Amino acid sequence: MQLAKDNYMYQMIRCELVDAVGKEFVNSGSADGLGHSVDYYWIPEMWHDRGLEPQKPDFVVHPGSTEEVAKVMKIANQYKIPVTPWGGGSGSQGGALPIYGGIILDMKRMNKVVEIDTRTLSVTCETGINAQHLEWAVEKAGYSTMHFPASIACATIGGFLAHRGTGVLSTKYGKIEDMVMSLEVVTPTGEIINTLPVPRHASGPDLTMLFLGSEGTLGVMTKVTLKIHPVPEARKFHAFLFPDMHSAMTAGAGLMHSRLQPCAIRLYDGPETAKLIKRVLGIDREGAYLVFGFDGPEKIVDLQMERACEICRNANPKEDLGTKSGEAWWNNRYKFFYPPYMFHMPQAFGTLDTVATFGKIENVYWAMKNTVETNFPEATFIGHFSHWYDWGCMLYARFIFEKAPEDPAEAAALYNRVWDMAIRAAIKEGGVINEHHGVGLKLGRLMKELYGPAMHVLEDIKKQLDPNNIMNPGKMGFKGV
Amino acid sequence: MHINQFTEVISACRFCFMCRHLSAVGQAGCREADTPRGRALIADSIRMHPEKIADADFVDTIYRSDLAGSNRFHCDGYHDGKGYDEVGLQLALRRDIVEAGTQPENVKKIADEFEKTADWKVEGAGDVLYFTDRYSQSTPEIAQSFAKLAEKGAVKYRTISGGCIGKVLRVLGYADRSKAVAKKFAAFINGLGAKTLVVSNPAAYDTLVNDYKEYGIELKVKVMHSSEFIANLKLAYKPIKESVGYIESDFLKNYVKNYPYPAELLKQIGAKCEPIGTNIEESYTAGEAAVVLPLLNPTLTGQLAGQVAKSVDNELLLTASPYTRRTLSDANLKVLTLEEFAAQSL
Repeated sequence: MQLAKDNYMYQMIRCELVDAVGKEFVNSGSADGLGHSVDYYWIPEMWHDRGLEPQKPDFVVHPGSTEEVAKVMKIANQYKIPVTPWGGGSGSQGGALPIYGGIILDMKRMNKVVEIDTRTLSVTCETGINAQHLEWAVEKAGYSTMHFPASIACATIGGFLAHRGTGVLSTKYGKIEDMVMSLEVVTPTGEIINTLPVPRHASGPDLTMLFLGSEGTLGVMTKVTLKIHPVPEARKFHAFLFPDMHSAMTAGAGLMHSRLQPCAIRLYDGPETAKLIKRVLGIDREGAYLVFGFDGPEKIVDLQMERACEICRNANPKEDLGTKSGEAWWNNRYKFFYPPYMFHMPQAFGTLDTVATFGKIENVYWAMKNTVETNFPEATFIGHFSHWYDWGCMLYARFIFEKAPEDPAEAAALYNRVWDMAIRAAIKEGGVINEHHGVGLKLGRLMKELYGPAMHVLEDIKKQLDPNNIMNPGKMGFKGV
Repeated sequence: MHINQFTEVISACRFCFMCRHLSAVGQAGCREADTPRGRALIADSIRMHPEKIADADFVDTIYRSDLAGSNRFHCDGYHDGKGYDEVGLQLALRRDIVEAGTQPENVKKIADEFEKTADWKVEGAGDVLYFTDRYSQSTPEIAQSFAKLAEKGAVKYRTISGGCIGKVLRVLGYADRSKAVAKKFAAFINGLGAKTLVVSNPAAYDTLVNDYKEYGIELKVKVMHSSEFIANLKLAYKPIKESVGYIESDFLKNYVKNYPYPAELLKQIGAKCEPIGTNIEESYTAGEAAVVLPLLNPTLTGQLAGQVAKSVDNELLLTASPYTRRTLSDANLKVLTLEEFAAQSL
């Protein structure tokens, strides 16, 4: 919308928002506007880097309760103002960007731990809580969420729910959707609803799953009950070097097929082993680095570790890198994301994450790699396989241009071309457009290709829940304003 | 512009979220701008568009910072002790703001008032000097406790009382005036011919040790925080039953990098220290490193103190900082400085 501040409608709407949440919690200043105009998506970063003004919100509203969220939604419906929920702003897909101005619903004030239930092993919290703060609070009570994504320090729990985030221990403890027991949601029209209190039932379709991954397009998740876990007695890691990615993949799949319960497995392809494992961990080897870990009672961990190492040794590794190299990975797992280890301007880079079955994941990898390297010879393609399931695994591939075109329009065009081609190649081979970063603004245009006729089902749900299309319009493949 | 000396920091921090959970001001107001990333984006914007230095909201945001250094300290942990100096960037930006003349009126006023207090007097006799600054003076129990401990340790000392020794001017962006005051104080101290200068305020310790070194000013005395001085006395203390929570000083932990003497002194006293809040990384000082935050922004200071009150469940809190002692006491928390706790434990 982008109303001028001297427009009387702007002031009228502001008055209503102030009535809803309090004067100090409605902000339209330039500093916060700037902060909310850039997230972790490369395009707005590049836009800012080129000295241009990314799209800013008209209002940044900080609700303090579910009821206040509901009031804001009703005001937004009344005036048909776009509302974009914002958690920690660390999304890489542009999902929280206020592309049509309007209201940024910054959820960080809703940061309370409501209850830690030690009989059920669950925690109920407001969704604006910083994920690290929640983890610390749960740890203080002697438990853990076991959700350790790279963005733990910056993202809110609501952000993870919105795009189905994943932490480094997902192989044992699951993605965020596996951790959720139930949700409280404010619908786009301002009703407060709760999903059923248990995650497994036969009482109709699962509304919890409808909202998870909806990226703020279907409502605002305001409260969540998550599973928690006892802090394990032991957590141990081990690493192997394989001559190539295929043999390492065979070993990794073997670990999953064995039905052992690793808490983490990560496999880096040759180029990423050479680039990042060397730079961050100081392990300078040619080949594919495979690391895995187990946690729980120490005796069980040792037993599983012994069996897992046997599986890897039988898969003809180039080198047994041992426990120390495995522990180094765990201890430095966040370091990869700090500057200067993380890719940064003037580079152009993106994470082409996807997921496929074990039968297809290597084809997906090669299809993406060949597409990037053939069509964009100046780009580097690296990848690792981060999150492993009984049936397949996630590919965290990245492309990096050392320098993007200076002209912002050319840079954006190049960037989008890489995504379009690489993701289409992945879909063709049985991949999907994303595994745990979401769709957002970045990949919305590919949703129809991925879903086919099923996209109409999503669109109909959106229309029903959000008749005025105010919730995060233009994201996740839904129409804009 | 001074921020041009920090282009690496701007480039690193403007799109980096990795330390935002440690931004106390960011949590107090929940504003996206009140994080290292938010402030680096502002600095970058001003770097590219210098006219934006007149943007009142940008300026206000830069002066809202608590300068706690927790984020920098966290970043150090991932860069072999050489993390990105986001505090340095903020101080540089404040200098630029002051030089552009776009600082808020109350910043000018506070700077002028503190500069006028740069005058000191000495009382007593001895090789040791004990400096009490504004915050230490506002809580007379601190100097009284120090006197009791010194007496027990049979140490004779001279008391220096007076005002600004440079820190306030520095944090407000008046680096040149800060340096001038620092020179004046150094000349005063060096003229006294003492061997040791003890300070109760960690802000004063950081000023004398780090800022003066940066200014190229030599102090011909060994500077100690009172915790070091008292620990060196090796006094005998009564056994303590009560458990306490120790609030790390922003200056002694994040600026001086884990100054060891508060912990050493607590060990000597035999204090049973319980953790504060949920973690050891966040700042619980309520704005200690911004030094004059209660004058600049009393509402924000109250929010920071309120946040600490919500986070801690310790019955008795200890601090090395007279600022934190006063600010948290105002929020109805039971807080003592290390001097007071040590003196009570004799």
